[in-house]
Amino acid sequence: MSLVADKITLNRPKQSTDSMDSDSSEQARPLIRVSDFDFFYGDKQALFDVNMEMMENEVTAFIGPSGCGKSTLLRCINRMNDLVDVARIGRGTIEVSGANIYDPQVDTIELRKRVGMVFQKSNPFPKSIYENVVYGLRIQGINRKSTLDEAVERCLKGAALWEEVRDRLDTSGLSLSGGQQQRLCIARALAVEPDILLMDEPCSALDPVATAKVEELIHSLKDNYTIVIVTHNMQQAARVSDRTAFFYLGKLIEMGQTEQIFMSPNNEQTEAYISGRFG
Amino acid sequence: MTTATTVQPAPAASPISFRQKPSRAKLIERIFFWIFRCGTYFIVLCSSFIFLTIAYKGGQTVFQTSFPFLNMEFLTESPQTLHVFEYEGQKYEMSDQDFRAFREERGVDISTTTYAHSGGGIWPCIVGTVMLVIGSMAIALTLGVLSAIFLSEYSRPGRVLNAVRLSILNLAGVPSIVFGIFGVGMFVLAFGWGTSLMAGWFTLAFMVLPIVISASEESLRAIPQGLREASLALGASKWTAIRTNVLPYAMPGILTSSIIGVARVAGETAPIMFTAAFAIRDQLPWEGLDRWYDFFFEGVMALPYHIYVVSAKIPQNEYTERMQYGTAFVFLFIVASIALASILLRIRMRSKYRW
Amino acid sequence: MSEADDKNRYNLASRRKTFLGLDKEQALKGLFGGNALVSIVVLALITFFLFREGIGFFGQYRDSLKLYRSSGLEYVEIMNEQSAAFSGLTRYLNSIREDQTQLLKEQGLAFREIKKVQARDNDFFYGFEDLGYPLREYVLEKKELAIASRNAYEEMENLKVFRSNLLAEGRTEEAAAVSIVELDLSATVDQIRSGREEFLALNDTIEKELEALLAEAPTFEAASLNAKVERLGELTRMFIAEMEEYENRLLEWDSTQSIGMGRAFVLFLFGEKWVTNSSIQDWYGLWPLFSGSLLVAIIAMFLAVPLGIGAAIYVNQVAGPREQNFIKPYIEFISAIPSVVIGFFGIAVFGQFIRNASNWEALAWLDVFPLAERLNAFTAGCLLALMAVPTIFTLAEDAINNVPKAFKEASLAMGATRWQTTVRIIVPTSLSGIISAVLLGFGRVIGETMVVLLCAGNRIAIPDFTEGLGVFFEPVHTMTGIIAQELGEVVHGSIHYRALFMVGMALFIISLLINYVAQKIVIKYQISRG
Repeated sequence: MSLVADKITLNRPKQSTDSMDSDSSEQARPLIRVSDFDFFYGDKQALFDVNMEMMENEVTAFIGPSGCGKSTLLRCINRMNDLVDVARIGRGTIEVSGANIYDPQVDTIELRKRVGMVFQKSNPFPKSIYENVVYGLRIQGINRKSTLDEAVERCLKGAALWEEVRDRLDTSGLSLSGGQQQRLCIARALAVEPDILLMDEPCSALDPVATAKVEELIHSLKDNYTIVIVTHNMQQAARVSDRTAFFYLGKLIEMGQTEQIFMSPNNEQTEAYISGRFG
Repeated sequence: MTTATTVQPAPAASPISFRQKPSRAKLIERIFFWIFRCGTYFIVLCSSFIFLTIAYKGGQTVFQTSFPFLNMEFLTESPQTLHVFEYEGQKYEMSDQDFRAFREERGVDISTTTYAHSGGGIWPCIVGTVMLVIGSMAIALTLGVLSAIFLSEYSRPGRVLNAVRLSILNLAGVPSIVFGIFGVGMFVLAFGWGTSLMAGWFTLAFMVLPIVISASEESLRAIPQGLREASLALGASKWTAIRTNVLPYAMPGILTSSIIGVARVAGETAPIMFTAAFAIRDQLPWEGLDRWYDFFFEGVMALPYHIYVVSAKIPQNEYTERMQYGTAFVFLFIVASIALASILLRIRMRSKYRW
Repeated sequence: MSEADDKNRYNLASRRKTFLGLDKEQALKGLFGGNALVSIVVLALITFFLFREGIGFFGQYRDSLKLYRSSGLEYVEIMNEQSAAFSGLTRYLNSIREDQTQLLKEQGLAFREIKKVQARDNDFFYGFEDLGYPLREYVLEKKELAIASRNAYEEMENLKVFRSNLLAEGRTEEAAAVSIVELDLSATVDQIRSGREEFLALNDTIEKELEALLAEAPTFEAASLNAKVERLGELTRMFIAEMEEYENRLLEWDSTQSIGMGRAFVLFLFGEKWVTNSSIQDWYGLWPLFSGSLLVAIIAMFLAVPLGIGAAIYVNQVAGPREQNFIKPYIEFISAIPSVVIGFFGIAVFGQFIRNASNWEALAWLDVFPLAERLNAFTAGCLLALMAVPTIFTLAEDAINNVPKAFKEASLAMGATRWQTTVRIIVPTSLSGIISAVLLGFGRVIGETMVVLLCAGNRIAIPDFTEGLGVFFEPVHTMTGIIAQELGEVVHGSIHYRALFMVGMALFIISLLINYVAQKIVIKYQISRG
């Protein structure tokens, strides 16, 4: 415990100097820091020496062609990759608010309460909308009706779904449309009160209208949460994110303010990708 | 094709016709589909014939026309020798017990024709079968379902797991008599349990264990990975994720497989022939025990073995037939009800959960 | 956010309670893992126990065969074979007489008159038959000698074991009281062999007399009888030729020649005799049982494969949804009929039906009909077919159902009929699944016990394929049936007991092989979907 606490204090002063973009907004401070990170699936190396920071209350987008490691890195941030048996870390650390999440003492459960995740394919539980939202609370042993009711309303409102489903909270989550299901999953993630939301291509299975709604939602969530989103869709990255990181073949090629990445990328590959010449 | 020699005038005006035309291909299709149809209904007919024969002839033993419409003697008494005799010009058929009372009452010695196993009823067989099923399924389900949870949720995929899975799957196809002979070697002789309820329980349990494990594991693995990931991402522990988001949805599948297991356990004869079944035992399993645990180390009568005994060891005639068909009918009824339940459950389940 | 807050929030260390160093998660994992381990161990035990109980068989069988040789029984058995061959001749001889009696009866002759007619040939018939007696008696005498010496030897062996057991328990005095006389088996063997000259002399007489008798074989009015007499002559000359062979075998025979494990193994796998509780020698040959099982299974598969696959195609491709909803559960339901009930049905109804049917005029052209036995391979095969159909149907239907819709649609879109689509697209695509369905059906049939035990006739004999179609209507015994029939009577640890375990082992291996191949086929040729 003391170890973790020490790290927090030790790491704290670095914050201002480590910042990659010193010209970004002054309040921004890194909440997630990835340092010298190598990652393997079996013998195959999926990530090579990644160094990056994600700022508090900002939306960071990961872009890049398929298989470039962007989803892998995302899943490393809340250690969902632990579920993959052959996955292992070669080198480096990921720190969330200064605490190394791969420290042996870290309990993944505690971590995942703080770092929520929304998946590519919407996966509501085959339960009612209400039960879907309060699932995270129930498993923590919170069963007081008033608390749960309050949480449901807050989270569904937060996920901009309240108006659409307020009259049918008892119907199955599976009965919702694709876009609604995805927003339900976001609401479900919000209920645990995380600081960080990881979104793995949340709109890839949605139609344009539903996508617009989710994007709007991401925008509004930014005030309270730090969001990391993986996307295939560059317009989406441009629309929703503050910063963008471009990955290619497991390497972080370039990271910076979204405007800068899209308008004047420093790297040739980035430019090629953004202008649609490959990928 | 036929128009090759006689050139027709310009076909431009003739409209394309979609009307039915007889062709060889269609004729062949018809013929074959009719053959298949006949074959299919032939199967249905054959099995229906078996059901009906046994139901009709067995029904005569089990049911009666007057209240309570069930032949209570047949359902509640032990198998006995049947005595057929004439006394004072009247023909009597009596089970051994009744005959003794009759003879005592009259105080005369009457010569009779006897038919083994043909009198009385099958109550001890029903009791024995139920006990065998309950005990063996308790063992098989505990071991099987918990093992399946481990294999599907906790174990690391790899060669070892594949090998284990493959061997379990293979064992599911091993003939029941092999389990029977194994039960004799291990439980009856090596463990010294003798022909007993315990030996039968374990033999039957191990026979269905592979089926229970592989079927349960299959239903567990059918639950989408997304549900597990979603609950883990919400901060659930592994067990919580399994308990709240895997087991409830896998339960119907596990239940179905265990009902199939029950039908199999109840229906098999070969594994219990030498491990648990007695051809005749005067007392019910809980009667006449010196010590309470003797209960487990005594054999029982069982319906399937009883059918074997009455059909293989005694000749066929009008008196023995009653017992044979009656037992077969009751047994078929029990097993078929269990199987029907599992089939209906599965059909319901299929329509309920579609991912 | 203040630093104090951060400290609190990002304390990611575990807060779970532990007990004996395990938290709940680990304890549960341990519970599940423990169960899995128990299950796997138990299933491994099955193999182990079959092996443990069965493997001693070969050693015991070899010892038994050794004793069979060293006690001279094998030598006697060669002579016995010759004697039996002669008995075969006399049986044929007598059948001529019976045929003649039958013919005469049909001509309306009374019993007495028939006797009178036949008296003419009495010299030939009785002379022929009498020739066998000295030989038979000679063999019998030697046989008794050999059996007596073998039994004495076995008894001594048992006493030795008894004594060593006593010694092991420290009861030396009692052990000393056990009197053991060392028996020399070779003395008996010499005694038996010393009669060789006598045997050869007997053979010589038989040979001469037979030739003399044949020279004046009677002729009859009926051509069929003459043909039979002719045939008898042929058989007899064959026998005479064989006599030399027997003599040579006797000459070559050596009581000290050793018998290896391999020989015991070969005699088990390919031995043509399964004889138990015999006073001479018990034989444990798998072959008659295996061929019986195979014959029954072939009959069953011959019926079940077309029916099962046909029904699967019909239900999946032709039947409407209503028909499907009825037939599919119904056929699945058939698999729930307990095998003993089907066996009972075979004994009570179907066996009789087969025999009655064999008497129908319409089937008279089949020369194997009418049948003598109501319980035979065919009866059992038909009933087993009914049990295999649900397995084949369900799995084949699954395989056909798994063919991607797109394939079928593409074919239909090109103007193919449904039948063409079925034959050219659907069946080939799902072939691996169908083959494995057939294999698993076969496994089910080979392993079925109660039906064959009740309905196959239980005669231990290798099916006689020279009989043409008749082979399918012979009573046979099977591997599963023999276990079920004999396991109840055997002594724990005896060679017979172990032999039954070896049969179980063989069944086990066969069924594992079938399953394994079926799975390999499915995995190897799986259509990639997705």
